[in-house]
Amino acid sequence: MQRSARLLVRPGRICMLSVVWYSASMFAQSPGATGPAHVTHILGFEDIPNNAGGELSIQEDGLEFRRSQGPAARISTRSIQNVSLGSLDKQVGGVPMALGRAATPFGGGRVIGLFSHKKYDTLTVEYADTNGGLHGAVFQLDKGQAELIRNKLTKPVAFGDQK
Amino acid sequence: MNKCRKTFTVAILAVLSTVQSGLSAQSFDAKSSSSGDIWIAGRWSVEVDKVDPGTVSLDPAFAAAIYENLLDELAKTKRFKQVFRSGDRGAGGAHDLLILKTTVQHYTPGSETRRAVTTVSGATKLNVRSELCTPQGKVVLERVVNGNVRFFGGNLRATHNLARNVADAIQHSPLPQPEPALSESLH
Repeated sequence: MQRSARLLVRPGRICMLSVVWYSASMFAQSPGATGPAHVTHILGFEDIPNNAGGELSIQEDGLEFRRSQGPAARISTRSIQNVSLGSLDKQVGGVPMALGRAATPFGGGRVIGLFSHKKYDTLTVEYADTNGGLHGAVFQLDKGQAELIRNKLTKPVAFGDQK
Repeated sequence: MNKCRKTFTVAILAVLSTVQSGLSAQSFDAKSSSSGDIWIAGRWSVEVDKVDPGTVSLDPAFAAAIYENLLDELAKTKRFKQVFRSGDRGAGGAHDLLILKTTVQHYTPGSETRRAVTTVSGATKLNVRSELCTPQGKVVLERVVNGNVRFFGGNLRATHNLARNVADAIQHSPLPQPEPALSESLH
């Protein structure tokens, strides 16, 4: 009876150990790095066109915006002067949806407009470029994500205060 | 005989059109270069200062968007020799520099959903005072400008409209001639 119980416990221990080892190895590979968040760059980030979608991630030495195509743009955390949050309520679907709403008869477009909106967070990052010129980059994120990124960015280490 | 005449006519027409296009291109080049020289001689550079929200509680995204749109729209006007960002070290050496200061006076936060549902309400409205100053603080130009979004587009579109109106107001306003640099005046 005892032997069979031990045999049952062993696979559990092995699983637990492997999970611990795997998570430890993950942290060892990327200390301080944060998983990317899918964002829309509204404006202001150098070398990135307005309204471009991509992944925003916090690296050890900076903030990186990577589009699905083309090179990534990165700013150093030392150059960041201010990070602030905001919120945005937008109609979804863009121009096709707006045209569809306008074409819907009997005021149906207004009813659609009442339900076809979504709340987003905005993340505004003010940073200085290599010439010292101020940039104000605005990103649109899903609700709740901007605060996570702001908290990670405003850690003392992120601003180069490594005392 | 007829074929020969046709070929001759076509050849003459081709030669005439080539000569005409060459002449027009020459005159256009001369016109643009001469006017360009005159234009450059009296042009200022401008440094766009960070937007001052004043006493208004302005969303930081709006302040950043006004600033960035102002840089874009001022560069589009070609009124200025160079458009510098706030704090740009390159602006320090420019003798013909103006500083654009923008102070928000009124801000009405709108709602895209209200605009979509009611059409008549939910407009986002911005009202700013724009000042072009010399580095010594002398105000060269002062304008109060509005930027709204009433029907279509997101709320941040108001910042684009505002920046376009500011750039338009500056473009159509007379500015004094910049003082010549010390090196230029010695020559």
